[in-house]
Amino acid sequence: MSLRFHWMLPKGGEVALNGRQTPREAARYRIESMHAGSPAPRPDIEGWTHFARQAEGAGIEKVLISFSRYEPDPFVVACALGQAVKKLKFIIAYRSGLMQPTTFVQQMNTVSALTQGRVSFNIVAGSSSAEQHGYGDFLSHDARYERAEEFLAVCNAFWGRNGNGNADVDFAGKYYRVEQGKLATPFVSPDGKSPEIYVSGHSEPSEQLAYSQGTCWLRVAEDPAKLASVVARARARGVGVCLRLCLVCRPTREEAVEVAQSLLPGDSAESTVTLKDDSQMYREGGQITTGHWLNRSLWTGLVPHYGPVWTTLLGSPQDLADAFLEYERIGVTEFIISGWPEVDTVNVFGREVLPLIRRQ
Amino acid sequence: MNLRFHWMFPKGGEVGMKTAQETSRVATTKAGSAAALPDMEGWVRFARCAEEAGIESVLLSFSRYEPDTIFIACAVGQATKKLKFIVAYRLGLMQPTTFVQQINTLSGVINGRVSLNIVAGSSMVEQRGYGDFLEHDERYARAEEFLGVCRSFWSNNGDDVSFTGNYCRIENGKIYTPFVAPDRTMPEIYVSGHSEQAQHLALTQGSCWVRLIDTPENLAPMVTRFRDKGVGVCLRLCVVCRPTRDEALAAAEALLPSEEIERQERRILSGSDSKTLKDALAAADQVGWMNRNLWAGLVPYYGSSAITLVGSPEDLAEAFLEYKKIGVTQFIIAGWPKLDEMMIFGREVIPRVREAESHE
Repeated sequence: MSLRFHWMLPKGGEVALNGRQTPREAARYRIESMHAGSPAPRPDIEGWTHFARQAEGAGIEKVLISFSRYEPDPFVVACALGQAVKKLKFIIAYRSGLMQPTTFVQQMNTVSALTQGRVSFNIVAGSSSAEQHGYGDFLSHDARYERAEEFLAVCNAFWGRNGNGNADVDFAGKYYRVEQGKLATPFVSPDGKSPEIYVSGHSEPSEQLAYSQGTCWLRVAEDPAKLASVVARARARGVGVCLRLCLVCRPTREEAVEVAQSLLPGDSAESTVTLKDDSQMYREGGQITTGHWLNRSLWTGLVPHYGPVWTTLLGSPQDLADAFLEYERIGVTEFIISGWPEVDTVNVFGREVLPLIRRQ
Repeated sequence: MNLRFHWMFPKGGEVGMKTAQETSRVATTKAGSAAALPDMEGWVRFARCAEEAGIESVLLSFSRYEPDTIFIACAVGQATKKLKFIVAYRLGLMQPTTFVQQINTLSGVINGRVSLNIVAGSSMVEQRGYGDFLEHDERYARAEEFLGVCRSFWSNNGDDVSFTGNYCRIENGKIYTPFVAPDRTMPEIYVSGHSEQAQHLALTQGSCWVRLIDTPENLAPMVTRFRDKGVGVCLRLCVVCRPTRDEALAAAEALLPSEEIERQERRILSGSDSKTLKDALAAADQVGWMNRNLWAGLVPYYGSSAITLVGSPEDLAEAFLEYKKIGVTQFIIAGWPKLDEMMIFGREVIPRVREAESHE
């Protein structure tokens, strides 16, 4: 099977419709999207539609719509954008603990029917305890995973996974209780399957959750040599592996390195990662202080400042194609990519990198 | 101020249905009913006709038999420019913070054309399928807390909401995506229900109380009580309008379906713990014709909201103006067939009401 490439949906207002944007300007916009007064929390159908069409043209399968209190609700964004574009699919990031699983399934099924089945979701247990408290969720990290397990078990029962068929859903757990749950609106998709479930996280509970309830384990890119055994383990459990990474592609590696380094903050103490106090992935990212090159193409220089999802794959088109093919060899199946700016990067990727990969 | 006319949005497949009998609740809650699926083609046609007829909003009903209302509003709202959506939602299905984030996002996508109809839930069986096991009175106590939290977000600009109650606890909640509308900072909140608790909730947290139509004499003291406290009153009703009263009577009687549908609908009405439903059935069984134009005879077949104003265009215009005199400001109307009756209403009744209002 071919590698599957997805992209991050830009923040509201991030897509510059008039005039060009340097990588540094795009990066700063994203960093400052959590500051008061940023337009990022507002839905930006015009900018997103522009990006979505470029992504479709570039051969991107899905866009990941992230969830946080700094952004619009990703369900509503997927529904709205799904009316404007007809091919692109959506990965809706959501946290458990925010709504009843029955409601979640009703929303997911409704959006599937309104977008011809172009939705899947990424379940996140929650990375910041302060943010979770604002949503009325006071569980600890590990309890959140325990709850997510129940949440997805109920969802999967509605979708007829785990052998439930079309029966009513009954569930009595520690966190959820559902009696004779029934929803008339089905999950609609061309192949009749229920939604793909991406489970993200680096902790042991997240890995177990991916195996028990997910279809794909989503984690941050690492050196292939280090990832190989982890990927093999997940594949052996019948679960795919998807890597999150940022991409810088230039005609030569030297140019790409220069662009990536231009994104380093002027103030070496700048950091947005302290906001995510309750995530294993972010704790690991915070420990990276030296030796920012994981291999010749994979750079973590931005991670101490902006978090693990800023792990960057960089190089010439051929360098990048080789890197993706190396991941394919160890069993990785999907990628979620972002770049600075998103529109330029997705176009370069579609024009320069993807054809080299597909040729193989 | 002019009377405000809203209309019930048809369920999936209903726009194409020609007889009232096909649209009975008994039919739309059967397995395999078209009501389970979105009907974008029919809905967009209906929505554009509603705009043309002079209807301000459509009410989207919530149940486990239908797609989720928030996304119907999102999708249909993108295909229209003027029509507003009253999104019905039950409480106990998600955290208030999440609800605010979804509604605010929706407002941003459809330029503020959204208001809310809060329903505490009318079927215990259905609520349990959503994971909600509270009794009627407790559901209202929770609704009060829930709406209190929502209103804090809207009046605080999304900033720093803390709340500790029996059902909701929020600590330093923040939602960055604002509620966006040309003329409001929070959505209008319609609270429906006849019970003491529903009335209390409408007075404390709502902007408008929604109840079933009754005779002006019966309603007058209640309407005064609400208006005195700054809360509007909106009536739910059906209309049958024909050139003469006799033709309207004949058309109304032709709507009666089979006894089997009556038997099943009666079971739903009498099994509910909702006071609204009990009141409607009592009106049908004990009174029938509530005055010369107001008939409860359809309730046992089409449910509690089927109390119907029957008459000529002049009869109906006069009746609406009579309600206006006692202080009613809004109406949510339905008719059969869904589209035709709305077009008759827009053509024959609204202009007569507006003409009279222009002389006030």
